[in-house]
Amino acid sequence: MRETPTSVLTQVISRLLLAPILVIAIAILVKGYADVGDGFSAGVVAALGILLQYMAFGRAETERLLPISLVPLLAFIGMLIALAIAAIPLLRGEALLTHVPEPRADVVEVGTLELITAVGFDVAIFLLVLGAAVGIIHAIAVVAEGEKR
Amino acid sequence: MIDAERFARHSAPLAFALAAAGFVAVLVVWLDGGGTLDLDWIPTLDARLTFTLDGIGALYALLATGVGAAVFAYSWRYLPLHLSHQGRSRGEELRFYALMVLFMVSMVGLATAQDLLLIFVFWDLTAIASYFLIAYDRHEAVSRYGALMALIVTGVTAVLLLVGALVLYGEHGTFALDELIEAAGPSSTVTLAAALIALAGLAKSAQVPFQFWLPRAMAAPTPVSAYLHSAAMVAAGVLLIGRTYPLLERSQLVLDGLLVIGTASIVVGGLLALTRDDLKRLLAYSTFSQYGYVVVMYGLGGPAAAAAAAFYVVAHAIGKSALFLTSGAVTEATGGKTRLSQLGGLGRSLPLLAVASAVAAASIAALPLTLGFFADELFFDAAIERGTWAAIAAVAAAGLTFSYLARFWLLIFAGARRVAVHRIPVTMTGAVVVLALAAFAGGAIAGPVSAIAGDAGEASVGIPVAVEVAYHLDPRAANVMALSAWGIGIAILATLPLTDRALRAFAHIGARAGTERIYGETIAGLNRLSDRIHNFEVRDLRTRLAAVLVPGGILVVLGVIATPTEDAYVVGEVRGREVAMVIGLALVSVAAIAATIPRRHLTLALALASVGFSLSAVYAFFGAPDVALVAVLVETIFALLFVGVFALLPARVLKREATLPMRPSRRWRDPLVGLFSGAIAFIVAWGALSRPTATESIGSEHSRLTADAHAKDTVTAILADFRGLDTLGEITVVAIAFAGVVALLRRGRLR
Repeated sequence: MRETPTSVLTQVISRLLLAPILVIAIAILVKGYADVGDGFSAGVVAALGILLQYMAFGRAETERLLPISLVPLLAFIGMLIALAIAAIPLLRGEALLTHVPEPRADVVEVGTLELITAVGFDVAIFLLVLGAAVGIIHAIAVVAEGEKR
Repeated sequence: MIDAERFARHSAPLAFALAAAGFVAVLVVWLDGGGTLDLDWIPTLDARLTFTLDGIGALYALLATGVGAAVFAYSWRYLPLHLSHQGRSRGEELRFYALMVLFMVSMVGLATAQDLLLIFVFWDLTAIASYFLIAYDRHEAVSRYGALMALIVTGVTAVLLLVGALVLYGEHGTFALDELIEAAGPSSTVTLAAALIALAGLAKSAQVPFQFWLPRAMAAPTPVSAYLHSAAMVAAGVLLIGRTYPLLERSQLVLDGLLVIGTASIVVGGLLALTRDDLKRLLAYSTFSQYGYVVVMYGLGGPAAAAAAAFYVVAHAIGKSALFLTSGAVTEATGGKTRLSQLGGLGRSLPLLAVASAVAAASIAALPLTLGFFADELFFDAAIERGTWAAIAAVAAAGLTFSYLARFWLLIFAGARRVAVHRIPVTMTGAVVVLALAAFAGGAIAGPVSAIAGDAGEASVGIPVAVEVAYHLDPRAANVMALSAWGIGIAILATLPLTDRALRAFAHIGARAGTERIYGETIAGLNRLSDRIHNFEVRDLRTRLAAVLVPGGILVVLGVIATPTEDAYVVGEVRGREVAMVIGLALVSVAAIAATIPRRHLTLALALASVGFSLSAVYAFFGAPDVALVAVLVETIFALLFVGVFALLPARVLKREATLPMRPSRRWRDPLVGLFSGAIAFIVAWGALSRPTATESIGSEHSRLTADAHAKDTVTAILADFRGLDTLGEITVVAIAFAGVVALLRRGRLR
């Protein structure tokens, strides 16, 4: 958002922190079913990482570095996935948001993560929150830039 | 746009073909003995999609498609002229035909539906389609006003139909009409439901005291008036009465009510029609007067009257739609003249139209050799059965009808010619001629109409009804009554110059003290109330919060007063490991009090954030790491977004707002509201925490189920699984808020 360049120290630290922040976000998402955290927290953490880039480098540089224009698309995809997971059971005559596999059935495990549709729902929340937050940050940055001019 | 226009050019023939095909299809199925379509719809509500093509269904479906076809043929040439007069593109024809066809289909659905819920759905569909059709000339304020009035009057009364249906469902557990008719005996519940349903029907048929919407709806283009206000929209009201007649019949009160309202409508409509100058408005008054006849016949009761009512609907719809189309053709031919006082002597220039409309008017006025003659014969017979007074009233009503229709026709076509006449397209005259021929043919061979009216009567009352009409050249009662009616009509017409002043005074009183005035005042009052609430509650954030917190707080105080307070408020002990939490809570309090002091926006945002962060610390100490994590993250991103948004606002605006002196009325009110609601929240929290529930809480239930749901973290399992629907709602809100923010920032004036 700022046009005036921030100090080199801030910029270096922000750049160095981006990857770890995104990794932490993914970790919170993946471990959501076994540990503290869920898709919402993961989305906010990832959005904060990107917000940090905006604050350190300004809009032009951040959007040169990251494919920000694609991020709002994530919100759309997330909403679609969530609605699909919610509505598809209806086609089979079951209640809204019935997850598969059923309780106590066998599931594929990847580490601590058990693959069920509820995890997909959580991922959808992650995408939606990340997309919406970054989209709003982007919109504010665009308007703020116009303000300065 | 070019393509839409090209497509629109084909929509008239398409709509005509659809209506004609519908007419033939209904006719074939009905001649084949009818049929029933029964599908599951909402099993949990016992709602079914049940359609039956019985007498009533066939009669109204044939009217809707038959008159529809005539109107579409007429609009083929009329609508392009109408649009070009107003400088509008022909592409708009598409909307007209789409809505007209939607209306036609809803009407056929309504005619054949056998389930009260289904009837309600089609009922409202017709109201919605009619709203857009009446407001088709949407640049005209009168069109929008008339459309809104029609929608409000018929839409609000439609709720009565729903309430009536629900009352019956509550009593008998079904929405299906046949089951209801079998189950419902005479009782006060059935009377109530029947009265509600009848009211909905009367409002749709524009009966007194709901009559005022119909003349206003005449702001619609002529084909819309011809269709909706002769054969469809207003007919839907008496269709509902005929359809639910066995229920209405359970209560003499309801039948007497129909009789009174129908008579009042005949008189009010007839007298006012005598004074009207505007062609279509005159026809509108005439229309609700004529439907008054139908309502009266249902009110008279009995199988013969029910069949006579159905017969009358057919005769009237054919004649009245022809007259509406005539008024449009006359206006078109004279270059926009819409008033009787501007017209006259058109008979020589438009002979075919004059003859055809004379036949149509004669049919409604019940002259011999037309379908309407038989309709009145049946009407008179039904009235005689009821008694002398009913017979006298019937004759007077028929005389009134004769007089205003004669006035209508004579003032247009007879006398000296006053205006230049242009040629009009042949399909416009043709549609009137076809309808007039139908009325004439019905006067020669009444068999088919009698058959379908008899069938409709049977569908209403449940026993076979034979309708027999013929010309009898003998002095029987019906003939004498018809003769005297014509005599009365001629007398009224002859004395019109004398009675004109009185009639106008009557119209004036109606305008000053009638139901239209009440409607206008009510709507204006509601608007003022809404403005006031908006100013008070919506425009001021603090008032809005106070409006929620203070009444809520008072309710809680009442609850606390009503609850025994012994042992309810316990002061516990602080154990060693809870000290950290107490410190955290103390920090929250300090931050909260600090947040009330700053006046600069940025400071305020940071103070609020520190409240949130201290609270997150408390969650963490309390053993709720999930909540603590989310709280920290939300506080962080909100604080940053606040800062970002402040960067968008001009610095001088922020500065001015921060240094503005507080309004004196606010100086005490806002702190008091805050203290009051804070104290209430404190008392409630204290009381709730003093008495932990003994039973297993929903929380431990969730913990127990977590493993079954393939999860190890209960909070996540709650969010994504147990309460997934809540989460779905919340993320939908996030998505909508996102779209709103982006739209505002892009297009809004945040600068």
